[in-house]
Amino acid sequence: MLQPELARLLAGGQVLLKSCDEDCPSGDTHELRQREADEGNPFNYTPQLIHLHKDHQLFEDGDIHRHMYLQDLYISEADDKTTLSVSEFACHISGCSAVFSTLEEYEHHYNSLHRHVCCSCRRSLPSARLLDIHIQEWHDSLFNILAQRQDMYQCLVEGCGQKFRTSKQRKDHLIRLHKYPPDFRFDKTKKDRGTRETKRQLQHKDAAMEVVDDVCESEGVCEVMCDVLSDQPERGESMETHVSRDDEAARMAESASAEEHAGLSAAAHSAGNTGTEPPKPRYSYRLVFKEVCCKPLDVFRLFLAQYCCTQRGHVVPFIRCF
Amino acid sequence: MWRLNKVRHKAGRLGGSLEEFKLKKREHEKALRQARRDRQLVSKRLLLNEDEDQPEVNMDTASGEQDVVTLFHTLQHSGPEREAHLKALSKALHDPTAQLTFIKQENSMHLLVGLLTGSNASCRLQAVRCLHELSHSSHANVAPACLPATPYLLTYLSGQSTKFTELCLYTLGNLCPESDAVKEKLLAQGIIPALASCIENQRHNLAVVEAVGFTLSQLLQAKDAAAKIIPLVLASSLPSHLLSVLTPDPKFGLAPAIECAWCLHYLTCSMEDNRVLLAQGALLKCSCLLVSLGAAVAEGNKEDGMELLICPLLRCMGNLLSSCPVENLSTEVGDIHVVVALCALLQAYLQSQPALARESAWVLNNLTAHSSALCSALLTLNLVPGLIQLLPFSQGINTMILRVLANIAHKKKEFCVQLAHLGLLSALYATLKMADQEMVTLSMDVLFMLVVSGPQVAEEFVKQGGLLLIEAIQYNSEGEIRRRATYLLEHHLVSYSSYCSVNTSAQFVFPFLTRTNSALNKD
Repeated sequence: MLQPELARLLAGGQVLLKSCDEDCPSGDTHELRQREADEGNPFNYTPQLIHLHKDHQLFEDGDIHRHMYLQDLYISEADDKTTLSVSEFACHISGCSAVFSTLEEYEHHYNSLHRHVCCSCRRSLPSARLLDIHIQEWHDSLFNILAQRQDMYQCLVEGCGQKFRTSKQRKDHLIRLHKYPPDFRFDKTKKDRGTRETKRQLQHKDAAMEVVDDVCESEGVCEVMCDVLSDQPERGESMETHVSRDDEAARMAESASAEEHAGLSAAAHSAGNTGTEPPKPRYSYRLVFKEVCCKPLDVFRLFLAQYCCTQRGHVVPFIRCF
Repeated sequence: MWRLNKVRHKAGRLGGSLEEFKLKKREHEKALRQARRDRQLVSKRLLLNEDEDQPEVNMDTASGEQDVVTLFHTLQHSGPEREAHLKALSKALHDPTAQLTFIKQENSMHLLVGLLTGSNASCRLQAVRCLHELSHSSHANVAPACLPATPYLLTYLSGQSTKFTELCLYTLGNLCPESDAVKEKLLAQGIIPALASCIENQRHNLAVVEAVGFTLSQLLQAKDAAAKIIPLVLASSLPSHLLSVLTPDPKFGLAPAIECAWCLHYLTCSMEDNRVLLAQGALLKCSCLLVSLGAAVAEGNKEDGMELLICPLLRCMGNLLSSCPVENLSTEVGDIHVVVALCALLQAYLQSQPALARESAWVLNNLTAHSSALCSALLTLNLVPGLIQLLPFSQGINTMILRVLANIAHKKKEFCVQLAHLGLLSALYATLKMADQEMVTLSMDVLFMLVVSGPQVAEEFVKQGGLLLIEAIQYNSEGEIRRRATYLLEHHLVSYSSYCSVNTSAQFVFPFLTRTNSALNKD
């Protein structure tokens, strides 16, 4: 609001503050908060009266100004330069400590390095589509099986739609038709990985689009993810065992009280079917959460990635796992 | 009385450039900051004669010393020239070396005290001037040498001579911070009742009032003031006099109000319980003053030095609010336009005195913490967009402003909806990515309150890509923040995900989830 508006308001005469019924420390959201608190709600903001003692940090500048005045060293504001500063932005992904002066720089960093990251190998891909393809071709055993019988290797160029029996054929297609370079970074075959990675690491330390085993050396891939990853393969592998153990629990998936293993086992049951059509999930979102202690969305994503869409945006989370 | 322009003119005439002067000030400022960190921030004032602009030392040190000794010897014998010699002595005592020399002379203080209490009024005036020079010294031995004079200085406070009383006061004020022993002595000699009756009797004489304010502020800044000094001050008539002086006299200027405001600040910040001051209407007085100062600032009448008054008033108000029971808030605060004034101050001083902007935001926090009416006022008076625009500014400004906005959101769901419409939701997209973790935590808290306030806000958030934002926060390095992100997604956002654009194969997943959720009787 501009100062003239404020001046007008202030010139308009006194308006006395009336006491309200709602003026009580708890406010009228008391009931809501009560309910929320019962469910382990971590949000606990309460308005607070802040009392500041004489030597508080917040008072430093004002005190200095006062004493400069007492000592006849008053600086009129016309002479003084401003000390106002603007907040910086920082990537808070665990393990990443990048700091930026503008939001645009932050967004660029985030979208480039954290947005489309493969859970299994921590590789960062530049787009959701390439990430999908990567996951499919590198981490999907089903893909390998299907690829023996049909053309599964998609052309990387969006809109082309062609598929190929081998990755070499695809590569040839990319070079021949789409004029891609032979060493296109986002079309590595799996066997390339071991030999070339160390070299690449040395060359591209800063950008670090390809992440190798040691997550901490790369920029922007989180340690938290590492924890997730160390869990995930286990879960993936033990999915089938879950099925046999918790079959009964799976049937209870729909009931409100079903906990813990039910969700995953139901999901696992679906995963166990290696039919050609994606089975409809028979679990509840909420139960799936309970399975993973602090990363509830990951297991959910697991199924999205495998069975659902390649759609980017808020539907499909930015990190895909298998 | 201090005129703020003096210093700048001095600089020009001295021949040094303004830049050099500024450099010197910066260095001095650094020294003051360090002193504050060491809890040793102390200042003394030197009251200059009207006929001199600054303590110019025309003679070199050696001759200065010689002069002092000579003058001292001369003064020991009575004579008609005594007054002139005393005057010369007071000028000579500008010089720190001369000061040391003087006090080392045997019986020098005895002589001065004798002249101070003698029958010659002009000699008294010059004698007190000499004492004043000595009191201003920062040397450990010089100022304490003046102690024998204090009972007389205190006695003279009930006198009527303006210049003389001022000099007595500033001398006492300079002596106060010397040591605990000095303070104890002054207290025992009755400095507080003396100051109280002085300000009462000389209420019309603003130069004296200013001097009383300064002296009292020196006492109140003591480390253990809360234990010994403040209770005595609160029991006296001083608080009511201080409050009555707060309104600046347009002719005399801001100086007396400034001193009294700082006294009140030292009183309010030391006490957790400010009932005595509240009972005397201190909060109401501060509030009204801030309204008129805010109005002046909003109209563009920003006087030099105004911030020296605004700062302690803000602090008084902030700390008084923290002891004010919420049911008394309406009587104590008075005019709701105080929030307008605070916003005006915030904007006006943001660039030049960011600390003042921060303190204004702090007062707004204390005003809005438990008052629905004041929160509502911020909305109805259209002050919120201006506050949202301040969210980029760091060093405590944005965190405090976000608290104010959180206070508003916390009161009612309708307020949350309004806040979202006014752009707070969009602003959170940026604040959630700021480097300051406190901003991120507060932003999450505010986001939560907005999202649970109603389906419209949650829908809007999801439509603008909010889910991706929260998912990223699930990988935040702080566990508490991760928990909040997860909780928000789990409990409050998943049912809105059908509002985002999906392709066909995903559509059967989300409607399914929504149905499942309702089957499980979730919200």
